[in-house]
Amino acid sequence: MKRLAIEIEGVSVRYRLAKEKPKTLQEYVIQRLKGRKMDYEAFWAIRGVTIHVTKGETLGIIGHNGAGKSTLLKIIAGVLKPTEGLVTVNGKIAPLIEISAGFDMELTGVENIFLNASMLGLSRKEIESRIDPIVDFSELHEFIHSPLRSYSSGMIARLGFSIATAVDPDILIIDESLSVGDERFRRKFDMRIDELKMRGTTLLLVSHMMGDIERLCDKILWLDHGRLKAYSSDVEEVIKSYTA
Amino acid sequence: MTVSERILSSPVGEPHVPFVTNGKFQYAYCIIAVHDVKMTRALDEISEIVRYKEFLRNLVMRDIKVRYKRSVLGFLWVMLNPLLMMLILSTVFSEVFKVSTKNYTTYLISGIILWNFFSQSTVTSLRSIFGNGNLIKKVYVPKAIFPLSIILSAMINFVFSLVPLLIIFFITGTSVSLNIYLVPVIIILVALFSFGISLILSTLTVFFHDTIYIYDVLLLAWMYATPIFFPESIIPQRFLFILNLNPLYYFLTTFRAALFMDGSFIFGKLMCSLLFSLAALAAGLVVYSRYRDRLIYYL
Repeated sequence: MKRLAIEIEGVSVRYRLAKEKPKTLQEYVIQRLKGRKMDYEAFWAIRGVTIHVTKGETLGIIGHNGAGKSTLLKIIAGVLKPTEGLVTVNGKIAPLIEISAGFDMELTGVENIFLNASMLGLSRKEIESRIDPIVDFSELHEFIHSPLRSYSSGMIARLGFSIATAVDPDILIIDESLSVGDERFRRKFDMRIDELKMRGTTLLLVSHMMGDIERLCDKILWLDHGRLKAYSSDVEEVIKSYTA
Repeated sequence: MTVSERILSSPVGEPHVPFVTNGKFQYAYCIIAVHDVKMTRALDEISEIVRYKEFLRNLVMRDIKVRYKRSVLGFLWVMLNPLLMMLILSTVFSEVFKVSTKNYTTYLISGIILWNFFSQSTVTSLRSIFGNGNLIKKVYVPKAIFPLSIILSAMINFVFSLVPLLIIFFITGTSVSLNIYLVPVIIILVALFSFGISLILSTLTVFFHDTIYIYDVLLLAWMYATPIFFPESIIPQRFLFILNLNPLYYFLTTFRAALFMDGSFIFGKLMCSLLFSLAALAAGLVVYSRYRDRLIYYL
């Protein structure tokens, strides 16, 4: 039996949005003293979702904004705990981090490599052995000892992608950051993705670019208002219905 | 390729059976009583932080580097600052207010550096979880690692600030106490205490952004309730109980006793310090573990 990378059983996530959320301690204490209980509005970001992702599979996740895609990724990454249901993840996860998070502008490229890679769970030795491949792939040799402040957004994206893939994750989550980068970078990016796929890395791709989804994904997941609208290996069909 | 199996399960807050493999060792624990959940969760957190020790290391280095990269005097400022403060304060208090304590300059500077360690580390760590929200929303990291990194870098700064203290010792010819070996112990106790406080504060700040303003005022009052610039002896009888309830009072007196003052009382006060540290740490871990899973919704 093929090994399962991600198992999600009947998962639901409820956000409780307090109607008049007291943002200050003062307000909170006053409201409690007044005996007023908090009015909560329940918002189910995802409801009853069940997915089984096999190792090495590439899963595309599509849906309109607010459908619950980011929430699902957060559940998988371990950032959020589900309100209901069971989540099992086998393997090391690396999310492709957005440009602003994860990097510290005052530190140099090398220092940021250490910071980021250690955040993704690597030990010092493991990071040291991967510095050269990371710098090579990102083509930032002259800049690697300059502070990130001096980098362009494209350079930062390249560095981020190099680190995330050099970590050699079992599961890579790509969340709509394919748009950054010039032509040359796109080609490198595609090459890396193919490499990872050949090595058996499980990929989760969230995107609005149907072309990428069709090209790369084995299975597709369509989330609509937090519910599973479609989950199949017939990527073309689902995309057709989605874009109709 | 290490394979770590993580089972994230069950409704938040209810007892569950986590089974965690770590490649090197396996541990499964069955949590039966609900009150056990909080403490085991707290211990979970500590072992998680150990797993991420390289990240912790890089966070501490970042704090230190970023703090001094753009400043003219660099990290000499860590040593200069308490020295300058001490000069100003000793002039004011001994010349203007005519306070006279034996070894007043040493008394002052020891108070200043210890108080700075506690107050600056807790104030800075207040925003540490909230400020790293973007990161926490994307990647799993044990969130307590952020306040911990602040406390650790503050500890390193504190060690550097011992240099001007030793200079003052040398200049004033104050003799060093026989209990000097207790100084590292006290530093660790203050660090544990500060960590406990910072866990509570950083968790609170995520929910209530005005915590900083409240804590600022609290710190001001706290500072005056601690014998930093004044000797214990000038406190009127009826206010002495404030000193006895103030954890910083115990830390400071044992610190001074271990450095240069008469230390006959030291072990009693050291025990109190230990109790306060452990209490703060326990309180911090409990508060943090209880609200940890809810933090993400407010980041």
